[in-house]
Amino acid sequence: MKEMRCTIVVCLLLLVSGCTVMTSAPSRNPAVTALLEKAEVQTSAGQLNQADASLERALRIEPRNPALWQQLARLRFEQGLFSQAENLARKSNSLAAGNRPLRKENWNIIAQARNALGDVQGAQQAWDRAARE
Amino acid sequence: MKRRKKSKKTRWFSRRKVLFFGTLAIVLVAVIYTLYLDYSVRSRFEGKRWKIPAKVYARALELYPGQTLSKASMNAELSLLGYKETAEPQAPGSFHWQNRTLDLVLRPFTFGDGFRDQLSLRVTFADSRVQTLEQRDTGLALSLVRLDPPLIGGIYPGKNEDRLLVKLAEVSPYVINGLLSAEDRRFYSHHGIDLRGIARALISTLSGDGIQGGSTLTQQLVKNFYLSPERTLRRKFTEMVMALLLELHYDKQEILETYLNEVYLGQDGNRSINGIGLASRYFFNKPASQLDPAEAALLVGMLKGPSYYNPRTHPERALARRNLVLEQMAEEGYLSPQQLSAAQAETLGVIERPPRGTSPYPAFLALVHRQLRQNYRDEDLRSEGLQIFTTLDPQVQHAAESALSQSLKQLEANRGMPAAVLEGAVLVTSAQNAEVEAVVGGRDPRFKGFNRALDALRPIGSLIKPIVYLTALEQPQKYTLATKLDDSPLLLEQPGTADWAPENYDHKFHGEVPLLTALADSYNVATARLGLELGVDRVMRNLQRLGLNRDLPVFAASLLGANSLSPLEVTQVYQTLAGGGFLTPLRAIREILTASGEPLQRYPLDVKQVIDQDAVYLTTAAMQEVVRRGTGKGLSDYLPASLDMAGKTGTTDDFRDSWFAGMTGNRVAVVWVGRDDNQPTGLTGASGALTIWGKMMAQLENEPLILPEPDNIEQVWIDPESGLLSAEGCRNAVQLPFISGSAPTESAPCGPNSVGGSIKGWFKRLFGK
Repeated sequence: MKEMRCTIVVCLLLLVSGCTVMTSAPSRNPAVTALLEKAEVQTSAGQLNQADASLERALRIEPRNPALWQQLARLRFEQGLFSQAENLARKSNSLAAGNRPLRKENWNIIAQARNALGDVQGAQQAWDRAARE
Repeated sequence: MKRRKKSKKTRWFSRRKVLFFGTLAIVLVAVIYTLYLDYSVRSRFEGKRWKIPAKVYARALELYPGQTLSKASMNAELSLLGYKETAEPQAPGSFHWQNRTLDLVLRPFTFGDGFRDQLSLRVTFADSRVQTLEQRDTGLALSLVRLDPPLIGGIYPGKNEDRLLVKLAEVSPYVINGLLSAEDRRFYSHHGIDLRGIARALISTLSGDGIQGGSTLTQQLVKNFYLSPERTLRRKFTEMVMALLLELHYDKQEILETYLNEVYLGQDGNRSINGIGLASRYFFNKPASQLDPAEAALLVGMLKGPSYYNPRTHPERALARRNLVLEQMAEEGYLSPQQLSAAQAETLGVIERPPRGTSPYPAFLALVHRQLRQNYRDEDLRSEGLQIFTTLDPQVQHAAESALSQSLKQLEANRGMPAAVLEGAVLVTSAQNAEVEAVVGGRDPRFKGFNRALDALRPIGSLIKPIVYLTALEQPQKYTLATKLDDSPLLLEQPGTADWAPENYDHKFHGEVPLLTALADSYNVATARLGLELGVDRVMRNLQRLGLNRDLPVFAASLLGANSLSPLEVTQVYQTLAGGGFLTPLRAIREILTASGEPLQRYPLDVKQVIDQDAVYLTTAAMQEVVRRGTGKGLSDYLPASLDMAGKTGTTDDFRDSWFAGMTGNRVAVVWVGRDDNQPTGLTGASGALTIWGKMMAQLENEPLILPEPDNIEQVWIDPESGLLSAEGCRNAVQLPFISGSAPTESAPCGPNSVGGSIKGWFKRLFGK
């Protein structure tokens, strides 16, 4: 059972990373795209604080872009700030009316965050929400 | 006889003993004293030599193609940064306009995420937007560039000493040559004290030619660094010993560098100008490395008496003194006769207005300081040379300042009030990120006194109403925007308190009114009755959930805003509404670097959902109605209706306080107007604060407020008369948002007709999804 749950988690993680590639470009503004790319490079180099600064710069340019809030949620998850990750994913959802793939992804992040915090039941609810999007 | 002899011998012996022990004691004391001096000389020199104030920067302006930015705004930024217009910009910090094309060379700068070297740019503008952005030498198109951030102030050490540290290699050789010529010609040959100099000083003092210094640079440094300014022989002696000790431990270059950084060179208000690095900024607005002979000689000359030879207040004295130093430099062979005459012919060349040291934005700086003190010791802020990057947007700040001071003047003139009796405060934040873009603490924005934006606690009046309605709309099964509220006379009798009978602003009662109208027209009685139904403490709890960090006394009049809040607190509450029910603590600081540019701390964006998003959506939609047709409709004099702003006016008893809090798609702003003596002003929220809000926003780039509609919201046609279901095309029908399942089911005559039909519709909504 535990193993299976682990497998599910891994699958979902893969799905999450897959989704980023699959969804359409997060912004049409080249400045924002450049900052997102920069944040990505910084994240993979383990410079999480710098990535944070880059994402916030992007958010200052497009504060209502749910894809940016989602990216920040992911980063907080990386940073181990799970409760923040959930709140940021919720914030992203609040700006993403009608964007079902993005919302689904946010619910996945919320599920993972809850899971990481030991809230298994809450995580399951979030996964159910993700499945319904 | 024998006895006498013996006693003589004893006396002799004891005299020798006294002499011996006396000498020993003196030597011992001298040694201990010298050791003590040695210790103090070294400990101060080894450790941190100066307290370096924290530097505070405004936000760095980002440039990217497509960005809204007028030529005028760009110029304002360049002037704030002290960039100079030149025909052919090559040096960092210079620019040139040709029609709508701007060539500029950015200064190198170390940001929180790394160093950005100087950068030669070409920017083209069209229709108040940045059109293209490219690197000038390579023609490479750039997607994003940051300007260096404007310096907006410092947090100074106790004695308000300001200095900009320089290395010896960064100081123009003319300064050093001038210094040696005028103050200490044998600096490189003596060992801390100059006996010939002392002898000469002694002779001139004794012969009555006046007291002369005869101090070496080392002695002067010792005097400034370690000793009190009294002039006694003992102190002079101590000074000499310490000078010798200093020379023993440290080389000439280090002593010279320390001297150049230590010296006092002037006063700017209560801030003292110290060191050659800051002085060359303060008097010539250039780095110390670029000083020419005349400029160097002026600064060196001033060391003798910084206020006596102040070139701004005593230009003639300063000029004579400078020319004397130049002559001394020529005597020593540092200047050729041609150089001498050329330098002596120069004007003083001192810039008229020194770069500001005391911040032009004291109200904002006070907020920064307050946030810093939560994490840092005040002592560190004033001594470690920290670099603090803030969220201030100088252009928003200027719009807020000018709107406030102009409007207050105008209001006083129009209403025959005595001049300067009105006061006010403004706060502006970015709507989603909660960054504080501007703080104005009073009508004189340069005055560093009472900061009304942070510290004025004033009853908020009707600004509380959106919270009352939000609390109601959290219960969609009981309250919707169409719910009828009772605006008939209300008398609240409670044992132990005076009876309470709230009245409306127009002194009328309006009977049954839709909830939306009650908020839009700010009806007191309907709101009070609603609030009592909900429970006052429940409303006040919501105020805290929205970000108020204090307990307030709770009584019925709280429902009409009897409690006092600061404009800053109000801004936090409205910020959470603008954030869609997500609380983000207002931030004035983004990050802090150490003096050497190492990241020390970030203040990351932090959000927390605190209130149901659907209820916030409905409340904000109702606040848009306030601006469309309610008490806030006066905004249409300043701003286009297409912005669809949301807002709320607030007026308190006898017109003592005039408030307006509102939001566009990109900003939240709160304005308060009133008098410091709390006397009536005759202004309502609409006739006072709102006009300032409008005037300020009209100077800024605004985005329309388009509320992202939660899934759980549906738009339904309503007959406003009855509050019942209607249909598109029916007379007076309006479309209102409802939380799913909360719309009325009963139909008005024109609506989906039959009773059966509406029940069907209700079931459809319930199970349809």
